[in-house]
Amino acid sequence: MQTLKRNILAVPIVVWIGLLVGVPLLFVFVLSFLSRDSLGNIVVQFTLENYQRVFDPIYLRVFLNSLLLALLTGILTLVVGYPVAYITSNLEPKKRALSIGLIMLPFWISSLLRTYGWMILLGNAGIINNVLRALGVIDAPLSMMYKFSTTLIGTAYMLVPFMIVAIFNSVDKLDRSLLEASYDLGANKRQTFFNITLPLTIPGIAGGFTLVFIPALGLFYVSDLLGGGNTIFLGNLINTQVTRGRNRPLAAAFSMAMIVVAILVISLYGRVAKDDREGLFQ
Amino acid sequence: MKNRRFSLVIGILVIALLAVVVVRYVNRGEEAPGEVNLMTWGGDFIPRAIIEEFEKETGIKVNYKEVTSNEDMQSLLEASPDQYDLAVTTDYMVDILRQSDMLAVLDKSKIPNYANINPVYHGAYYDPNDQYSIPYAISISFLLVNPEGVESLGARPITSYGDMWQEELVNNIVLIDWSVEIMGLVLKSLGYEYNETDPVKVAEAREKLFALKPNIKRFETNTPEDSLVNGEAVIGFMYSNQAVKGQQARPNLQPVFPTEGMPIYIDSWVMSKQAPNKDGAYKFLDFIMRPEIAARIADMTKFTSPNKAAEAHLPADFKNNPMLNLADEVVENTSFYIGVDRVLDEYEHIYSEFKLR
Amino acid sequence: MKLKTSKFGAFYLSLFFVVLYLPVLSVILYSFNASPSTAQWTGFTLDWYRELFRDRVIVESFKVSIEVALLTALLSAIMGTASAVISMWVTDGMKKAIQGMMVLPLLVPEIALGIALLIFFNSINLPFGHLTLVLSHSLFCVPYVYIMVQLRLKEIDRSILESARDLGATTWQVIETVILPLVTPSIITASLLALAMSLDDVIISTYMSGAKTTTLPVHIFSMMRVGVTPKVNALCTLILVGTFFIVGLSQLTKKQNKEAV
Repeated sequence: MQTLKRNILAVPIVVWIGLLVGVPLLFVFVLSFLSRDSLGNIVVQFTLENYQRVFDPIYLRVFLNSLLLALLTGILTLVVGYPVAYITSNLEPKKRALSIGLIMLPFWISSLLRTYGWMILLGNAGIINNVLRALGVIDAPLSMMYKFSTTLIGTAYMLVPFMIVAIFNSVDKLDRSLLEASYDLGANKRQTFFNITLPLTIPGIAGGFTLVFIPALGLFYVSDLLGGGNTIFLGNLINTQVTRGRNRPLAAAFSMAMIVVAILVISLYGRVAKDDREGLFQ
Repeated sequence: MKNRRFSLVIGILVIALLAVVVVRYVNRGEEAPGEVNLMTWGGDFIPRAIIEEFEKETGIKVNYKEVTSNEDMQSLLEASPDQYDLAVTTDYMVDILRQSDMLAVLDKSKIPNYANINPVYHGAYYDPNDQYSIPYAISISFLLVNPEGVESLGARPITSYGDMWQEELVNNIVLIDWSVEIMGLVLKSLGYEYNETDPVKVAEAREKLFALKPNIKRFETNTPEDSLVNGEAVIGFMYSNQAVKGQQARPNLQPVFPTEGMPIYIDSWVMSKQAPNKDGAYKFLDFIMRPEIAARIADMTKFTSPNKAAEAHLPADFKNNPMLNLADEVVENTSFYIGVDRVLDEYEHIYSEFKLR
Repeated sequence: MKLKTSKFGAFYLSLFFVVLYLPVLSVILYSFNASPSTAQWTGFTLDWYRELFRDRVIVESFKVSIEVALLTALLSAIMGTASAVISMWVTDGMKKAIQGMMVLPLLVPEIALGIALLIFFNSINLPFGHLTLVLSHSLFCVPYVYIMVQLRLKEIDRSILESARDLGATTWQVIETVILPLVTPSIITASLLALAMSLDDVIISTYMSGAKTTTLPVHIFSMMRVGVTPKVNALCTLILVGTFFIVGLSQLTKKQNKEAV
């Protein structure tokens, strides 16, 4: 009875999200076992073919490609974002609010437009090439577009605020007395950072990594535009199969596979963060 | 004291939220009598200026739902067939929707201006008896070439798809990003037909496709002409409206109609079987098929018009443009992608492999 | 303890902001480009601003986007905070259930979620429009609020809660006087994030927006086939300028209030 009373308030929340995500998820799951007729419309006929095709060597390479992109995006956003979060948390309150505001503000502009912004910067007749040419540094335009690295930069650019916010949350609530104690014991800034700050902010890092890694698996227009469509990622594959590929069941199977990968990443994260009981999801 | 105010603010916000949602919800319920809901590609595929003229003339409000793919139109139409009156969708999707029994038979007696449609577009495979669809915009795909660029790379002038395989063109080609289209290009270059299913011929096309990879700079469906305008590529395989825009931005770019043959697309009007305002929809169809209106639409959108009577109203630069006013021998050398679904899975797979190379 | 920001730190932060804003500045710059394409710069013009105000669709869809984003942020703030606060009292099993529910929306690919919700809402006869947009957007926004509030709540010393209870405070009083003031900064940051994510969503919105409502990102994306016009750049420039203006103004009034006190 006591348990029931404690839990009763949580029921609407669980039901609400459970309904809105659980039902669609179930739908995707069922769809991944269905077949198509000659028009490409879905027919209710059980098949495992879609999952067989997920394990096709070509499509497995798409998975690996995406994992690589998501992993590198995570690392890049961490390397770039950690100092930003750390420095911001040490600013005086007013400047700190300003810094957080400036990090959030680009979000107000459509991500598609910001991607175009990168194309304007990096393109053949783009701003960087024009400036370098005007300065006489180069004669022929540098080719900076349509590479894996361009996609990586664009993806990291879109997701770095998530990493910063997660780490900021973690750095911000560090017990400052620990740092003071470390200094009192004669440790220098660097030693304090590596022995105290970094280990204590591991949960924030892991949290940020998750928040960056999962969306990076699914983004698609960044690689279409900045990567010039020269390679395929999971997001492109699912998107193409839903639209021009006209194979929803296969797209559903890919989605399920992607969800499994994401769950694996999260449980890995859970392990990293567990000791500190400070996890994002616990 | 401060906390009281806090709860008050939260309380007010919650009430405001509920109020707005309720008001919106109720508003949704009342269906204005004179509204037409249409759905198609966004941007100005159907120019807003034209829509506004129709609204002013008839008092019927037009709601324009914008989508990014034929398949999205299919999904939305299947989910709520009673929400949409009209859609403009590409030929193969007309075929699918027709066979899926989603479309209304059009009552031509309510569209007097239907007589303006050029009879050469009658009886296409996707609507053999012209019962369900009316052509709206025609485009073909061909090559837009920068002849000086090709020459400076030391390559032969481009006249056919086959010329794209020259080693000198490395990293200098931009292609529409669609498996069926690119496989079609390769099949044509081998002298075969679109959507070939013979495994031997497909395997041959696959090998030839892979050989093209080093020459590809970029895959781009929406603005491939930009790559020719900014000079990062010298050949682009693209739709006619894109090529027209490319040439406007950079006049030395020239269209090349490959000798092997080209694909043609007819985006057509269809009406939902459960359209809520069929009368309004007929009025709209008749309006946009007026010769002068159709001519203005063609000029604004840079699509070839199927409206025969519109030709008299087209500006001279439109009429003199070989990419818009297609020569007979060009049209004769085009064909539809028929039965796309038969080959999609296989082509998508080959195309994925191609991209991963 | 106050750590002084080193010169290097200030330099790094400035560099980061330069890179963060370079693409944004390019977007702004090209709102003055005479050519409708981003492929080349053909001269300075203000025409796109003039055309922007004549463009009923952009203005309307922007209005819809703002309404939906504000409602989404509000709903997400309430639901996310409630979930996090309630998590403090429930049993461990229920807590796990809440956590699971909160991760779920982040896992499903957007396009799959969009189509599935389309079919689901349709089957329960929910009319597509503001309501479906807000409901679907809040799905992927609530988790962020939950996560951030949750992180903040961990700071609260359980003993404070218990002593408050011992002093006769009701649960609601504890929430109101101890918890809410503490998590307010997190709620605000998270709501801003939710606002931004709702303003930027395109895939789910395509399926959720119904026959008569268009959000700005859906409008922008659907333009891609015929070319995105610099009118959109112009709008974004105005949004940014407007935001700076509002933020600056609120800072100013804050200052004045302080001085008045």
